[in-house]
Parts: sequence; C-alpha cells; structure tokens
Amino acid sequence: MYVARASGLHQLHPLTKVLTALCLLIAGLTLPGNWTSYCITLLIVFPLSAWGKVFPNLLHIVWIVSLPFAISVLLIQSLFWGAGTPIFEFWLFAPKVEGARYALISLGKIILVMSSFLLFSLTTRPDALMIALKQAGMPSSIAYIIVTTLQIVPSFQRKGATILDAQRSRGLETEGNLWVRARALVPIVLPLALGSLMEVEERAIAIEARAFNSHKAETSLIEIPDTQFQKNFRTVTLVAMPLLMIFGILWRL
Amino acid sequence: MFEKIKKDFTTKTLVLIPIAIAINIVVGELVARLKLPIYLDSIGTVLVGAIAGPWAGALTGGLANLIWGLFTPTSAPFFYVAAVIGFMAGLAGKYGAFEGETPYWVSVLVGAVFVFSLTLFVLAFINVNVDETGYATFPSMGELFSRYLLLFIVAILLGGAIGYFLLQKGGYAGLWGLITGVIAAIISAPTAAYVFGGVTGAGTDLLVAAFRASGGGILSSVLAQGSVSDPFDKMLSFMVVWLILKALPARFKAR
Amino acid sequence: MAFINIQNLTYQYPTSKAPVLKNINLQIEQGEFVAIVGPNGAGKSTLCYALSGFVPHFFKGELSGSIEVAGRQSSQSTLSEWVLNVGLAFQNPFNQISGAKYTVFEEVAFGLENMGVPRTEMQVRVEAALQLTGIADLAQRSPYSLSGGQQQRVALTSILVMRPKLLVLDEPTSQLDPIGAREVFNTIRNMAKDGTTIVLVEHKVEWIANFADRVVALKAGQVLLEGKPSEALTSDLLAEQGFGLSRYTSTAREAKKQGLWKKDTLPVTLDEAVEGFKQ
Repeated sequence: MYVARASGLHQLHPLTKVLTALCLLIAGLTLPGNWTSYCITLLIVFPLSAWGKVFPNLLHIVWIVSLPFAISVLLIQSLFWGAGTPIFEFWLFAPKVEGARYALISLGKIILVMSSFLLFSLTTRPDALMIALKQAGMPSSIAYIIVTTLQIVPSFQRKGATILDAQRSRGLETEGNLWVRARALVPIVLPLALGSLMEVEERAIAIEARAFNSHKAETSLIEIPDTQFQKNFRTVTLVAMPLLMIFGILWRL
Repeated sequence: MFEKIKKDFTTKTLVLIPIAIAINIVVGELVARLKLPIYLDSIGTVLVGAIAGPWAGALTGGLANLIWGLFTPTSAPFFYVAAVIGFMAGLAGKYGAFEGETPYWVSVLVGAVFVFSLTLFVLAFINVNVDETGYATFPSMGELFSRYLLLFIVAILLGGAIGYFLLQKGGYAGLWGLITGVIAAIISAPTAAYVFGGVTGAGTDLLVAAFRASGGGILSSVLAQGSVSDPFDKMLSFMVVWLILKALPARFKAR
Repeated sequence: MAFINIQNLTYQYPTSKAPVLKNINLQIEQGEFVAIVGPNGAGKSTLCYALSGFVPHFFKGELSGSIEVAGRQSSQSTLSEWVLNVGLAFQNPFNQISGAKYTVFEEVAFGLENMGVPRTEMQVRVEAALQLTGIADLAQRSPYSLSGGQQQRVALTSILVMRPKLLVLDEPTSQLDPIGAREVFNTIRNMAKDGTTIVLVEHKVEWIANFADRVVALKAGQVLLEGKPSEALTSDLLAEQGFGLSRYTSTAREAKKQGLWKKDTLPVTLDEAVEGFKQ
C-alpha cells in the first residue's frame, strides 16, 4: 500500500499521521451538519494528500472502492424510500429525493473513512509505524503480528493458487452449479489450513531462538525522527478526539 | 483475569495469528473466485479461537479487519464484530464444540430450529403493520402460523436436511456458529447502517433492497439482511474449522 | 568439567508412545566441533532441541537425567535465558525468517533488538556477521525475495550474530550448493577455533570428515558410537548398520575385499580415496 515519495508528509512521525487521520475521521462523523464529511474530505484530506504527493493514488483507490457502494446505496435508498417526493416516476420505479439525499450523505461518510485511512497508509511505511507504536508502549507481540501478516499474505496467496491448480489437475470441478462449486471448497481449504498449521511449531521455535521472549528492554535498529512540535500536536489531537465525540453526541441530544 | 489473558498468548499462538489472518484473506478471495454467495472470511479467526482461546481469537479477528483495512478501508470499522466472532469461537472451543462428534439427530435439530426461526423472523418482518400514525405492530405468532403453515413445514424439513448434509457430525460446532452469526448480525447492523448507509457493495445488498422494499427501516433492513446471511456463513466457518481440527495430528493441537 | 555435560538423558514427547532419547551420556569440550549422524528417527533433531533448551521447555513432555551447558543446568533455567548461550539453526530456511523485518540487515538485527543491544553496537555486529557468512551484498534485499540457499545463510547469520557459546546446527546447508556449503563449513570451523562449541547434524559425511573434530552416531535414541571422524565413519559398526557412510568408504570397503584397496584405514573423502587408490 505504501507509496515511496519525497514529501513532508512522508517525513512526519507515523503516530502524527495516524492521529491526524483518526481526528479527521471522528470530526467528519460526529460534527453536526449533513455535509461535514464532504467538507473535511475536500478541504483537508485531499489537500494533505496532495502535499504528500499521493493525491492521484488516493483518488484512484477511493474511486474504485466507493463505486459499488455508491451504486448500491443510491439505488436502494432512493428506490425503496417509503414516503417522499419522487424525482420521476417510471413504471414501478419512483426514486425519492429524500432517499437520494440520504444516500449522498452516506456516501460522504464512506469516502471520508476511506480517504483518511489512505492518507496515512499511502504515506507511512508499516515497519516505521510498528516501531513508533512500540516506542509508544504497544506490546511488541502486536507489532510482530501486524508486520508478519503483511509479509506472509502474498506467499499464502501463491500457496492457495498452487493448491487450487493441483486439485483441478486431479479432476476437482470448480465450475458448474452452486453445489459443485461449494463442494470444491473443502479439498482446497483443508490442505491450505493444515499445511500452515504444521509450520507454526517451527516458526515459533525460530523466533524463540532469537530471544523473542527475552525480558530485556528491546532496542531498535531503525530510528524514527520526531520533533517537539509534532509531540505537542499529537497531544492536541488526543485531547480533541474525545471532545469532538462528546460534542457530537450532545448536539444530537 | 489478566493472567488468564496472558496464558492465551504463548509464542505458538503469536505465530499462529498472522497465519490465521492470511488464511482468512486467502479463503475469502477463493470463495469470491468460486462465486459462492457467502464470505467464509473468518475461518482463520475461528481457528485461533478454537486452538488458543477467546482472547487470542478476539485479537485475531480485530487485527485481521484493521490490517485488511489497509487495503480495503471499508472492513476496518467492523473490527469489533470480527473480535466478537473470534471470542465466541474461543468460548465454543472451551466448551468442547470442536472436539468429538455429535449424533446426526443433533445436527438435524440444529438445522431445523435455525431455519424455522429464520423463517419466522423474516415473515414477521414482512408482515409488519404500519398504521397511519407510523406506529408499527408485529403480527401475532398464531396468525403467522395459520397463514404460512405449509411454508413453516418446508422450512423445518429444509433446515433438517441442511443439518443432516452440511453439519453431519459437527452439529455442536454448527450450533455455536449459528449463535455467533446472530450476535455478529446484531452488533454489526448499527455500523453498517450509520457509516455505510446500509450497503456493503456486495451481493448481499440485494437482500437489504428486498427488506427495504417490504417496508423495513434502514437499521432493521440491515439487521434482517445480517440475520439471514451471517448465521449461515458462521455456521459453515465453524464447520470447516471442526473439519480442520479433526484432520490435524494431535501433536499440533497441544498449546 | 566438560563444557557440555549430558547425563542419563531420557526424553519422551507428550504425544509419542516411547522415549525418543534413551539414556544418552555425552561430554563435549569448549571449542569442539562435534557432528551427529544417524538414520531418520534416531533422535538427532530431538537431541538438538534438548541442547538448545526447546526440549523440554517448549515441547514439554517427560525428561529425566540432566543437560548442562557452560556450567548451567537446563532444568534450572528458562528458555529465554538459555537461548542467549545456545543458538539453534535448523533445516527449513523459510520457517526461520521472522517475517517481522523488511530487509536482510534488519532480519539479522532482530535477535539483537530482542536482546537489547544498543543501536551503534548492533550495526557493527550485523555488518561483521554479514561479512563472515558472505552475504553482505544481500543486506538491503527482502528476506522473502531470496533463494532457499540464501535464506539458509540469512538464518545462520541471524543466529551467529547473537554470539552464542554453543551453536547447534540441524542440517544448515541442505539448500546450499557444494561451493556455498564449503564456505559455510569454513565459517563454522573458524568459529570453533575462536572458542564457539559446535554441534552439527549432517548427512553429507565428507564434510564431517573434513571439518569436524568428533562424530557421534545415534541409533534409536541411543549413542551407538563416538570417535574421531576418520575412525568412526569407517568403522565396521556403521557399515553393518548402513548409515553415516560416504560413497568413498563403501567403495573402498568393497575394493578391500577384492584386494584392490591396500591401506589399513578406509577413506571418507574423495581426496583420501584418490590418494589410497593411487598406491
């Protein structure tokens, strides 16, 4: 997911970026006003991503992922909105203005969730994030899980494809009616899961042999640059997030 | 409490979790490739719960969605649902749901009761009466039974058949999967309705559309959709894990 | 007092029906290079796990007798303390890549990070270790982009950078070509010279003859014989049992029956065989 670029955003401390993204997300979802999420996406998230030189990448992914949502939410909510003002009437269909409005508001939230998440994941190396989180007190086991998952998924995808091909060449049918396709699952899933479970023991031994469970304070090879300004900024976001949520709830009451 | 949580996390468990998340992803993709109308994207999570306990299962589920959120950001907000699924699988494991075999009649009973309640739920939903003031009343059970007697009989027979042919000797695991699915449907509905306007962009949206068309509100349509697809999906996931554990040599089950 | 002292070691895995190691007694001196040979299922890997603390700390099971390394009893130590003195590398390189690191340099540093070695010292040690095993050119590559042989060298480097007093190696060159294997054996031999004790399980008997100080042959969980490589590997006992034999030893043994091999001692390596047949 990470896109390497020489930008100011890339050089920020990973936690600064995570907290900024979270803060923007919460602001967009809790602040009053139906179109707040659009405002935050357009006025803050997009310009920030342009500063990080990843605006085209971000827009591309947002477009691809949100398109099916957009179609689905617009159709369902406008066509099946109980009582309301019809936009037009055609045979059985009478999409309602209120439904379309609701759909657009929902779409704004979806786009905000995606773009603020992408703002940080496109500009932050996962390993740098992990080191930063560890330094902030997150257990190293969590960091291990996250980075290792990101690294082994491609090899598992290859493994899955290999098993699928092997079973097909032995005559397993993977095309046809629902029942045929459903029955194809077990001979593929079982070898994949069993094979991987057998690896667990050796992998555990390998990392234990490298002092993974040592009780000494860990050190880190890579240094994450940080500044006092960013530290202060992060404190501000940490205070702002609960305040935003409380404000959002009170406003609605 | 804290000591108990810590006991769930041996190095083996820690190594198992990334592998389990990878299994979630790969099997999820495979199911999509086979164009099956289910997700089956929590097999790894259920596996960790079954092998390493509820807390490890919960961590696996939560992290799986957050990590996968790096690629498809829409899965991240549901991380808490996945965590509950992992936790439930852990409880199921604690109570022996993945060990041994159950007689066929248990599986038939589980399937029949489930499809029966599902039918009842959906019919009650479709037949909800809304008067002029917008006040909704559900039809009475007796009314439904007399109107749809044949449908209920078909549902029970179908459920029994599902139990017999799909669950086979894993009736207990299937039961836990169904319960987990119901809980997952209930707790994911608010997020699905509020953040995503009730849609996922996937095939299950047709169900949401159907419920909206029959007069359901946004939240209740999402809930109804979830109650139809989630229990079935989780039942199959728990079943597959039961099969995996049955085939796994004893040596690898020990923590 | 020997550096390694194993006394009356008997061990059974939780799920195995009979003991895998039976009454093993073994003494090894500091800086000694000991090779273990034996047929499949003889208990070689289990012995490696016992020396490196994983038996019984990781595998549980029933253990009697004692394992002592560098004056410490395994039973009175925890696994996380034990691995600081005893390093273990095994056959399958893919499972030894931690997965937690993006480059070979960081992968090799993983153990040092866990040990709490300061950053500047870490950099020096990792660079030295990469030089030692000849993979400095791979430093910035992803461990997952490497060949099996390269991964095997990374796995070995990742252990020896931790500077264990005892290095336990279970077929560490299985994926390497002969040139690569020779380089690795040279590295190990030099480490033994500098005082690191080496216990190695290896199928390729010629390498043992060239590099090891002593051979221990295991069969069915028991020590069958031990001795200098040139003697043990050419013994009649191993010939009867049919394992731990190089093709040159077998050939010369046959040749001797027909009077074609004139020397009293049998060869293990190609060089010895060539020299012997010249006579």
